[in-house]
Order: sequence, then structure tokens, then C-alpha cells
Amino acid sequence: MAGMIKDMIDTITEKRSKGNPTIAMTTKTKFILKGVNPDRFDAGSADDPAVIAKVRAIGAEMGVSV
Amino acid sequence: MPITTAYSKRCLPDAVEDLKAQCAGCKPRTVIFFASSKFDQTELSRQMQAAFPDACVAGCSTAGEIAGGKMVGESVSAILLDEEIVRQAASAVVENLRGGVWVAGALSKLERQLHASVASLDTERYVGLVLIDGMSGAEEALMEKLGDLTDVLFVGGSAGDDMRFRGTQVMLDGKAYDDAAILLILELKRGFDVIKTQSFRSTGKTLTATEVDEPRRLVSEFDHKPAIEAYAEALGVPPREAAALFMKHPLGLMVDRDPFVRSPQRVDGRGIVFYCQIKQGMELEVLEATDLVAHTRQAIDARKAAAHPISGIIDFQCILRTLQLRAENRCGEYGAIFDGIPTAGFSTYGEAYLGHINQTSTILVFR
Repeated sequence: MAGMIKDMIDTITEKRSKGNPTIAMTTKTKFILKGVNPDRFDAGSADDPAVIAKVRAIGAEMGVSV
Repeated sequence: MPITTAYSKRCLPDAVEDLKAQCAGCKPRTVIFFASSKFDQTELSRQMQAAFPDACVAGCSTAGEIAGGKMVGESVSAILLDEEIVRQAASAVVENLRGGVWVAGALSKLERQLHASVASLDTERYVGLVLIDGMSGAEEALMEKLGDLTDVLFVGGSAGDDMRFRGTQVMLDGKAYDDAAILLILELKRGFDVIKTQSFRSTGKTLTATEVDEPRRLVSEFDHKPAIEAYAEALGVPPREAAALFMKHPLGLMVDRDPFVRSPQRVDGRGIVFYCQIKQGMELEVLEATDLVAHTRQAIDARKAAAHPISGIIDFQCILRTLQLRAENRCGEYGAIFDGIPTAGFSTYGEAYLGHINQTSTILVFR
């Protein structure tokens, strides 16, 4: 399976920013500062369980359940 | 003037009287001050609050002050914001940082003052300021938790103590604290901008942190090699010569093409201790210094050309940038960048902008 990480990051960013592009950008920066670079993941990225767990934890920290 | 700045090199109690005299007629809603460690910070905080009893008064100790287009020292520099600028100001202290960073209580206090949830605040009108004990080592955790709980942009800096590295203080409501952070949220009538400027370009070389001790801000290995050897190899020098290049070649965590600078502090065995944390697996670019003054002037000039006029500036400038300016005898040139703009600021032990960063100026521009 592939693409789940990008979907999760996109969902967190959308829920957090509610369409505000500035907040979407700062959310991306917050991901990178937390050690996950959204640019590294696309629809073909393997569903690495460790990364999925990390992204899920970041979502929880940001108040978004994925 | 909706924004007034002043500074004094006198000692207490004359320094505060001097500031007050320079600001005669001002009715500030918020006063933010930056003070040399020569002052008794507890007494200074008490006197500042007494001098401006109707204002929210916050400050910190520094490693050098910025005042009205000058880089000064052994002074107290203040910026006064009146009701034309600040609609409302909320403030809170986060204490006992070394025991763990718990921001919930402080944020609740801010929310009670603002009558709104911090998560609901309009990010165009509200800005956060953070002044944190620069010896706490808690900057990353604090900024991360604030960023998790609100989209309000927090900018600021880590308090200094004139390079003594013994103790730094933050101040609010007539009191002084160590092991603490001051949080302010200001609702600004005219809005604001933030300039984050660092004077580096990428060398195109990357290092990936493969073994780290985050709490110690230590990287033991880059690319599965001893950190100092990998860093030296990237710069094409023997490891014994690498530490001399730390100032000119920090590392950048890149967000699009914008570096969030991580500055090496010292060699520890075969590892490198940084001035901020690097996480396991982070890929960083090796940076190369460019002209600090020219780059900063370019950033300020670009902002001057924008639609909204500048009413005032707070410059949170890394002490490493100040040391570079002092070594190059260019402090006057740097200060002149802000000529004609009411400006206050200080040389920090680290800058705050979404996270904890180094060798950067985070500049809050009041419209």
C-alpha cells in the first residue's frame, strides 16, 4: 500500500488551516520542525508504519485526529 | 506618536526616570523593555511597572540592546505602544521550565484576559511575543507546544546575560523570573508583519543527523559518521579545523528554500553540540555566510516598499550576528538600517519564530 502518509499530512493541514494558505504554510513548517517533511511524501510513498505513527502523533499534538 | 522608543545608560533608579522623562506625554498600553544584565532585574522590573502603572509591562535581560537605530550596551531600551497600536494586551508567565514545559495554565490566563480561545484568534490581528530564560534549554519544547495549540504567530527571543552564561531573567508586572517564559498576545489595530532574516546561502551539501541526543542538543553522527568528521568533510577541511568554521557555516533546516538555522556551538568528543535541537533523521544543508548588513537592509527596504507604513519595530537579533558585527566593526552600519523607524530590540541567546532558531533576526513590524 502507498500514499497514506501524504493523505494524513494533507488532512491534518486542511483541518488545521481551514483553507487559510498562511496557516497551511506555517503548519508545513511545524511538521518540518517536528521532523517530518511533507515534501518527501507523495501518492506513491510506501506506507511506513513508523512514519504513519509519527504523523498520527503530530496530528494528535495539533488537535487533529487522523 | 503611537510608538515611542527610548533608552538609558544610567543606573537605577535614574535609568527608569530617564526613560520616563524621554516618554513624557505617552500613555502606553504596552511597554516592552530590554535590559543589560548590569541591572538588578527584580528592582528594574518593579520600577518599570511603577513608572507605567496603566500598561502591560514586560521585558528581559539581554546580551546587548538595540535602541533607536543604535546597537548599545549596558543600557535599558524600551518600546512603548499606545492605544492606536494595541487594542488589547494579555500576558502570562510559564514557570519552572526545567521541570517540563506546561503551557496550559498560561494559555488559560491569556484566554481569560482576551475573552476568547487562543485557537480562535484572528492570526492577522493577534501576534504573540515570547521572552524566555535563555539558559533554560526549553525553547524548543515551549515553541512546539505553543504551535500545537494556536496558529497565532509567536516571535521573540531568549534572554541573555551579556555573554556571562550564568543566569538570565524575564520580567512581567513588576516581577522578575528565571527558569520562565513571558507570553504576550497583542491585538493590533493596524496589523503587523514579521521579517525573519538570516544571511546565508546553501552550499548545496547536505548532512543527515543519524545519531542525536536531543535534550543535550548534541549530534553524534551525520550520515553514520562522527559528526565533526562529516561536517569537516562537507567543507573540505580536516576535522581539527572545522570548529573555526562554525560561525560562517551553520546548518539549515530548509523549509522550501528558507533556512531555519542551527548553529554549531562546540565540539563534544567527535560530536557537535548545537545552539538548538536537531532531531534524528533531519536533513540539513550546509550554509555559507553572506553579507549580513546588506541582506538585512534588503529585507527592511523591501518591507518599507510594501503598502503599509512601518510604525515601529522590535528586532530580536541573535548574539552571534551581533558578535559578527562587532568583529567586523559594522554595528553602526547595522543600526543605520533602522534609521527613522522607532526601533527597540536586543541581542538574544536564540530567536523564536515557529520554532527555536539561531543566527537570525526575527523582526516584528508594527504597521
